[in-house]
Amino acid sequence: MKKILMLCLGFFGLYAREIAGKVPLVSKDMAPHSGGDLLVSSQMIDNILHYQTWGELFVYLQVHWFRLLFFGITVGVLVVFLLHYLIIGPKKFAHSGKGIFVYSIFKRVVHWAAALAFVLVIPTGFMMIFGKELGGGDLVLTARYVHSIGTVLFIVSFIPMFLMWLIPMLPSFDDIKWFLMLGGYLTKKKVVVPAGQFNAGQKMWFWVAMLGGIVMIGSGAMMYFQDFHLSILDRFGLDQIDLIRVAAITHNFLGMAVAALFITHLYMSLFAIKGSLDSMIDGYKSEDEVRYMHSSFYKKLKKEDKI
Amino acid sequence: MSYARMKFYCDEERCIECNGCSVACAEAHELPVGISRRKVVTLNDGIEGKEFSVSVACMHCTDAPCEQVCPVDCFYIREDGIVLHDKEICIGCGYCLYACPFGAPQFPKDGAFGTRGVMDKCTMCAGGPEETNSAKERELYGQDRIAEGKVPACAAMCSTKALIVGDEQEVSKIYRKRVMSRGKGVQSAPYGWSTAYGN
Repeated sequence: MKKILMLCLGFFGLYAREIAGKVPLVSKDMAPHSGGDLLVSSQMIDNILHYQTWGELFVYLQVHWFRLLFFGITVGVLVVFLLHYLIIGPKKFAHSGKGIFVYSIFKRVVHWAAALAFVLVIPTGFMMIFGKELGGGDLVLTARYVHSIGTVLFIVSFIPMFLMWLIPMLPSFDDIKWFLMLGGYLTKKKVVVPAGQFNAGQKMWFWVAMLGGIVMIGSGAMMYFQDFHLSILDRFGLDQIDLIRVAAITHNFLGMAVAALFITHLYMSLFAIKGSLDSMIDGYKSEDEVRYMHSSFYKKLKKEDKI
Repeated sequence: MSYARMKFYCDEERCIECNGCSVACAEAHELPVGISRRKVVTLNDGIEGKEFSVSVACMHCTDAPCEQVCPVDCFYIREDGIVLHDKEICIGCGYCLYACPFGAPQFPKDGAFGTRGVMDKCTMCAGGPEETNSAKERELYGQDRIAEGKVPACAAMCSTKALIVGDEQEVSKIYRKRVMSRGKGVQSAPYGWSTAYGN
């Protein structure tokens, strides 16, 4: 065993020479800038010079802002919805009749696969952010593993979901009108809301979850794999460790947006519109609900004589 | 009671890149293959008059950034400045590595299903939070030489005494003496000190 260790250290010595041969000329009190072809676990001194760029920014954000922002945004979103529920209250629609078939079994399966992924990823993400309060150790370590497992499930559900909803999720003029009246959520009255199959709020969630999701997967993968080599970095003169630092910063900020919209999605489907969850269970949406909440879609169906 | 402020100093004029320190470290703490708590890096290799080597590990920074960013608060800084961490609290997230200016944190692949496990780093041979010199401390963190009044393994075996470790007063004294006896340009501080200890 020791012989193997010595041999490996010998190889490491050779590797260190290899590394050293590639660094540009430096003075003794200045660390060199590596070509970016070093792995973090073995690179060392190369970090020092460029530490001020991304290293210090990461430390500053992690120490002062990330936890505070996550806490503030989560509590803020929850309080807003609690007030909305108490003051304005949920919307109720007649659920008589057969309803309109909106989600095929395939769409529902894909949706629930992604939903399970989010249920695994988002709470475990919060567990890591507030790991101090949970005392760290095995509980938070397990959360870290579950966070990765949830990601795999998200990757699987990502492509079918993106393709099946891409067209109806494209922006339309209804979205501007929807935003101007905030989807009719600020009034107790039943108002006709301009929206196609999906309203602007749903579209916002879709695009943050999809495009944001790609960035979250990418930045998360960088942190997960840690020792990887991207030759493209050499061209940009970026250190691999700096790329991971940027990834961590991005992952945190984007995580705030995803978490906020995820809570919004839960509130809307579970509380704000009574019975709206049914459409994701049996595929049928109440006709009354479609008439008001997706008026353009309703008109289109009427015109095509589908109702 | 006043404590020493323990610091590492590697004299790049003396370091001969023998890698003895990293071997001594790996042997003393029985580190797994691929884990290098201490490494020797050679710069300007092959360029006459410009080439030099330094040995780097955790510098046990003042206000250590790793301690500040840790999401589970597994780090603690002893009165003598040695930065240590609790492996039973650590979740191996890697944030300390992003925060570290010296790339000191190491991550053995001993987690579930061979994934990245909890962090490992230079303890300045001071063990960890477990009972001093207990089997558990040795298993998790390696030797606790400081508790036995011994010099850390790397510095103890350094053949040219390039790598020295001790109270900052003593280390600074040796540094000044060496700079003066060489009779040439004075650096503002030893390599890496401004980053690790400020000024």
